[in-house]
Amino acid sequence: MNDSRTTTRSEDLEAPLLARIAEGDQSALSDLYDRFSRPLLAAVVRILNDSREAEDIVHDAFVAVWQKAGDYDASRGSAFSWVMTLTRNRALDRVRSRKRRGELLAQSAPADLGYDQTSADVAQAAEFSERSDAVHAAFGELPSDQRQALELAYFSGLTQQEIAARLDQPLGTIKARIRRGLLKLRDLLASTP
Amino acid sequence: MIDERTEELAALYAFDLLEGAELDAFTTRLQNDKEVRKLVDELRETSSACALTAASVEPSAGLRERVLASVMDQTTSSARSSNIIPFRLPAWPAWAAAAVFALLAGYLGLTVSQLDYQLAVVEQSQVFADLQMRSLQTSLDSEQIVSKQQAIELKTTETQLAAVRDQLDETRTSALAQISELKAEANVAALKISSLNSLLGNAPDATAIAVWNPFSQEGVLTVSKLPALDADKDYQLWVVDPQYSIPVDGGVFTVDATTGETRFKFKTDKPIKTVAAFAVSLERKGGVPKAEGPMVLITQ
Repeated sequence: MNDSRTTTRSEDLEAPLLARIAEGDQSALSDLYDRFSRPLLAAVVRILNDSREAEDIVHDAFVAVWQKAGDYDASRGSAFSWVMTLTRNRALDRVRSRKRRGELLAQSAPADLGYDQTSADVAQAAEFSERSDAVHAAFGELPSDQRQALELAYFSGLTQQEIAARLDQPLGTIKARIRRGLLKLRDLLASTP
Repeated sequence: MIDERTEELAALYAFDLLEGAELDAFTTRLQNDKEVRKLVDELRETSSACALTAASVEPSAGLRERVLASVMDQTTSSARSSNIIPFRLPAWPAWAAAAVFALLAGYLGLTVSQLDYQLAVVEQSQVFADLQMRSLQTSLDSEQIVSKQQAIELKTTETQLAAVRDQLDETRTSALAQISELKAEANVAALKISSLNSLLGNAPDATAIAVWNPFSQEGVLTVSKLPALDADKDYQLWVVDPQYSIPVDGGVFTVDATTGETRFKFKTDKPIKTVAAFAVSLERKGGVPKAEGPMVLITQ
């Protein structure tokens, strides 16, 4: 990935926040919450289809950030990616632990995955509106089959085989779509000014 | 140089889609290969960007306070003594006051009219009722304090359990990596190696070697002198196992346009018991569930 692009001015502020949290600075956690809570909650709501349960996950994730901020390694990726991964893991654990997976799958049909949201929705997340716009633009340039595979891979909690079955495609095809889509998305985001 | 198979594994790993032996082998490789680790970090970063495609959701007004209160509770509870005695208001002064009042009422009852005496008895009953109510209220308040404390302790325990679980996950990953290394050593003796020859009139020298590991259910195909492909085509590998009525999909690949070579790590989408033959066909881009195009290579 192009390092000169990934560290924008906004993102430069986030790694130091985690460093301050690791030292027990509650005001830093408060700042991090203001910065990340909207995108984290949006992603978890999309995974769980339940806003109340999603808030519990986001709550637990921030408590985990408070406890584990010292584990963050800025050389391995951005603070947002670290916090998002920690939050998504908890959401996927919840998906797998509750016994109504079939119900969830039915609710999260590809057409309802929310890709076609309005730009007004995106603009509500003030801190993330620029990043969000860039990601939406990059997603828009992906072929629809790759975009669909990436969305299911990220939000559905399905296995490779389940994704292949859901899209009625051979497993090898799905793996290839995920590989090509993710590499292209990486390159598109890297070339975003 | 990172090949397509490694890119595929890295992409699946970034989405937490690898499982079983595939995950174990890739985790081991990550520990030893800086270049692959860098690719995984990049793809993990990119996959996290997918989160930003979700429709914006406004957190409820209380969430921020809940988060900060939990953090503050954790900070203070660690400094607080673990043995907290619930606060209870002493009840005896109230009962003593009631007794004095009762004696006073009795004394007055002896000295005033029968009517006044009855009135005093009624008032006495009311005072007792009030005292009883206050006593109950005090007990209730004490129980609420205890319940709140227990809730805080329960939350702390849950958090500690989550930390222990994370630590167990790390230990498991490390143990699986060691097991994977041991298995890899034991599996070498069982490898099945096959040579594939050309069926193409325009490329009679095309050839391939397929190596299949029945334990890990993975293989490597090394191809040379295959013709370059059009942009809308892929070569697709098939594994022939007598237990299935049709050949099993081994994935798609392309070759170097100038040399016709590639090295392709593959894994089937169904478990393989016996490999009777390998075959390669020419298919449309992305592959097909059942071979449709012409066969270009097959095991002799």
